[in-house]
Amino acid sequence: MPGLDSLDGFLRLVRTELDLELTDQDAETELAALPGWDSMNLLRLVTLLESGSGRRLPVPTVLAARNLREIYAVLEEAA
Amino acid sequence: MTRPGATPTGPPLGEPVEVAGDKTWDLVRADLARHGTALVYAELGDLQPDLPAAHELRAVLGRDWSRYLDLAHPSVRDRYAASRVLLKRAGAAVLRADPDTLELGYGPTGRPYLRGCDQVDISLSHTDDLLLVGLTTRGLIGVDAERADRPMYGRGLGRHVCTPYELVSLAALPEQDRNPSLVRLWTLKEAYSKAIGQGMQFSFTEFGFGPDGKPVRVHRPDGSPGTGEEWAFRTFLLDNGYRISAAVYDAGFGELDDAELTSMLDRDTVEAITDALGTGD
Repeated sequence: MPGLDSLDGFLRLVRTELDLELTDQDAETELAALPGWDSMNLLRLVTLLESGSGRRLPVPTVLAARNLREIYAVLEEAA
Repeated sequence: MTRPGATPTGPPLGEPVEVAGDKTWDLVRADLARHGTALVYAELGDLQPDLPAAHELRAVLGRDWSRYLDLAHPSVRDRYAASRVLLKRAGAAVLRADPDTLELGYGPTGRPYLRGCDQVDISLSHTDDLLLVGLTTRGLIGVDAERADRPMYGRGLGRHVCTPYELVSLAALPEQDRNPSLVRLWTLKEAYSKAIGQGMQFSFTEFGFGPDGKPVRVHRPDGSPGTGEEWAFRTFLLDNGYRISAAVYDAGFGELDDAELTSMLDRDTVEAITDALGTGD
């Protein structure tokens, strides 16, 4: 998926597709402390990443992630 | 108030009570006495003018104060404070205690509980502007709320949320019913997984629910019955457009005549403490 080759690109996708107002610093923010974040957003993000990358992501590992940087790390690991 | 046409079937859980005026907590106590379970909700905008001022908030939040300070985003911080205040007010109402004297604890998955008051189990959900609290003296409770029109169907979420039986059932519905039906399933699954303390770690594709309009039961992935009569589920469509669901586990404690905090203390323990403190008569 274009733009997913960097954490910045990943954050842009999260902002755009999930319509969340995030700063660059929010990559480290606990997911539950992000404005507008909820469990459905998490599954929506998994779905977007899977359809964009053509790969299945390990959902339990994504669920264990504490912040967006850790979700991005899962994506990189699956590449 | 719930809309006409909201699920008419299901166990005898009372209608959700909206926080509005002094009668609110009487209604919550009445539901708890009658059904062993009560649901209470508020919209954030309606609750905020009634929240404690900054200098009082610390006392109300207690141990949650440091967590409150850690939250960087003002909107998240405000909702966190409002949700804890609502939880404590609801807990205090049924225990007939002062909200400031109640402390919230959290389980490994973040499931809240009233410390030292295990006669009442609690659950919290918030989405957009809605805060929802469930309370039960029956055993365990989980609640969840979501906007009924939140787009879910056709976005690839079904594979992560539904059993094969549910996917087939949803696809067979008229198109306009598919998304609200999926939102209903989502809130039921969230409520159930919260009640058992699992959150989303419990795969939502491993259990399911039947269609609206029938008594709600947990189904196995193939659609066969999963749990028994010990679990009760109920789902409501609120006038303000939110779908809310509750899952209640009846642990067999029976009717609880009085959930008041002081009446739930062990008499021998109270006497021993009183003697030790030398405050007895």
